[in-house]
Amino acid sequence: MNPPRLIADRIAVSFAGLRALSDVSLELVSGAVHGLIGPNGAGKTTLVNILTGFQAPTAGNYRLDGERLNGLPPHKVRRGGIARTFQGGRLFKDLTVLENLEVAGLGLGLDRGAAEVLAEEVLEWIGIADLADELAGSLPYTDERRVGIGRALVGRPAFILMDEPAAGMSVHEAEALGRLILRIAEERHCGVLVIEHNIGLVLDICSHITVLDSGEIIEAGDPETIRRSEAVRHAYMGTQADIVSDAAVL
Amino acid sequence: MLIVVPIDLFASGVTTRTFTEMFVQMVLVVGLYLFVGNSGVISFGHVGFMCIGAYATAWLTVPPMMKQFTIKGLPEILAQAQLPFLPSVLLAGLLAAAVAVPVGLVLMRLSGIAASIATFAFLAIVNNVYSNWDAWTAGTSSIVGIPTETNIWTSWLFASAAILVAYAYSVSRFGLALRSARDEPVAAAAAGIDMVFQRTIAFVGSAFLCGVAGALYAHFLGVVNPDAFFLSVTFTALAMLILGGMSSLSGAVTGVVFVTLLISLFRTLERGVSVGDASFSLPAGSQEIAIGIAMILVLIRRPAGLIGNREFKWTRSPAKAERRHKPAI
Ligand SMILES: Nc1ncnc2c1ncn2[C@@H]1O[C@H](COP(=O)(O)OP(=O)(O)O)[C@@H](O)[C@H]1O
Ligand SMILES: [Mg+2]
Repeated sequence: MNPPRLIADRIAVSFAGLRALSDVSLELVSGAVHGLIGPNGAGKTTLVNILTGFQAPTAGNYRLDGERLNGLPPHKVRRGGIARTFQGGRLFKDLTVLENLEVAGLGLGLDRGAAEVLAEEVLEWIGIADLADELAGSLPYTDERRVGIGRALVGRPAFILMDEPAAGMSVHEAEALGRLILRIAEERHCGVLVIEHNIGLVLDICSHITVLDSGEIIEAGDPETIRRSEAVRHAYMGTQADIVSDAAVL
Repeated sequence: MLIVVPIDLFASGVTTRTFTEMFVQMVLVVGLYLFVGNSGVISFGHVGFMCIGAYATAWLTVPPMMKQFTIKGLPEILAQAQLPFLPSVLLAGLLAAAVAVPVGLVLMRLSGIAASIATFAFLAIVNNVYSNWDAWTAGTSSIVGIPTETNIWTSWLFASAAILVAYAYSVSRFGLALRSARDEPVAAAAAGIDMVFQRTIAFVGSAFLCGVAGALYAHFLGVVNPDAFFLSVTFTALAMLILGGMSSLSGAVTGVVFVTLLISLFRTLERGVSVGDASFSLPAGSQEIAIGIAMILVLIRRPAGLIGNREFKWTRSPAKAERRHKPAI
């Protein structure tokens, strides 16, 4: 049997005439980690918004195992097996950590008891079971990120799209996150898309990387290809002073 | 709730009536809380469901003899009906809930503020229909002869039952799902929650309780007319909910008690009190002004209401209302 595939096929979107994405295609395979990098404003979050039903593309389509997903609302995309995390965390702050994950179980149609069992299983698997009864709004940054990932893992989605999960983390914390992402792909057979500015991390954990700049794909390939790419080096040097230090590892 | 016992035994008729009315309002406000508190969408329309419930119980319980004269256009089955109190009140709630299904399916698609405005339009429509539907509602004149079965005991029982229903909803999967969508709609959608569906469920459930409250109120007054279920009740109910704290059941209940006490204090002052030889009274209408001022003061001092989003007994840990702003997706 073929592993599940999530395919974006020549996606384009404009906001009030401004092109945010043009002709963007990529393919996620379950069990593999795919990196999506590019300067701020390149359209990375917009692509994730499209693949999860939050934003309608102006052109192109996206499919899960050959089935078109265009037009599905976000909650149905999630039920169909594509989960995401948010750049800003977006936890339910007044709920406990356990309840945050439980909500994802309810969204899949489970009752509270069954949702709680799944939530506990995921917390245990990530290794943050001790946080279960904490209020999500009181968590430190790093834990917040891991809870957000946990919420996306409930119900064993086939794909998980992560928007800058390591932003603001220390080197040490980012490494731990990298190991968690690899475990998600290997142990849970999940296809992962990870948007990340920490290029060292991306080169370490991804088997395939797509580079966006101004809404267009300027390079795609394995880490070695990206490392050598003149276009990538140029894009990073040219636009973003604050990530020049990241680009230095290229 | 043991206060009911001494009040029933010793207090004057006036106090008993005040408390009976308070319990009826508790059913209404708890019903309103079920939707507003869990969804975060303010509704100005729930008194419309109260109106629907009140007339439904009038159709079902006024003696056929009297209905012949006041509401001549009822179909035979209703014209002949004379149901007992309890089934009639429950049927009244069910009718309100049934009306809430199509209304909810339409309104819950709207965004928060648009939905609130639309609920107000719903209230206006209900008021208009019931004011002009002469054959069934006797227009703006009153329908009399509703058995006055709402006393302090029955109203207390219904208030307790309403609190239990609202609590059961809050801890159910539906309550948790809707609260998640209230606090973070985007993340809730990404977690698979269908917000429109969840809001509609809460809307229908709360319409049921408000319909019951309307029926109880009809059985308290003995008469109904459309304007008894319009702006002034809407204002009082929202004041109770907001003052107590609209995001917790404890807040809703506290708000009802607090505003009831405030209203009866000012009613007494409006009637006049004598201190020694001197007597003075407040001008009529002071009561509404006092509620308005109390609401503003509470909102300034405690924007989340007297109780905030805590619950009295069943709290896991006190919630900090402190919110941090996150970047948009
Ligand atoms: N909803 C929207 N309306 C208008 N413009 C938007 C919207 N979302 C994103 N954009 C624009 O699209 C471009 C890409 O944004 P985004 O996808 O957030 O970039 P990235 O995540 O790569 O930093 C930016 O220029 C941004 O201003
Ligand atoms: Mg982004």
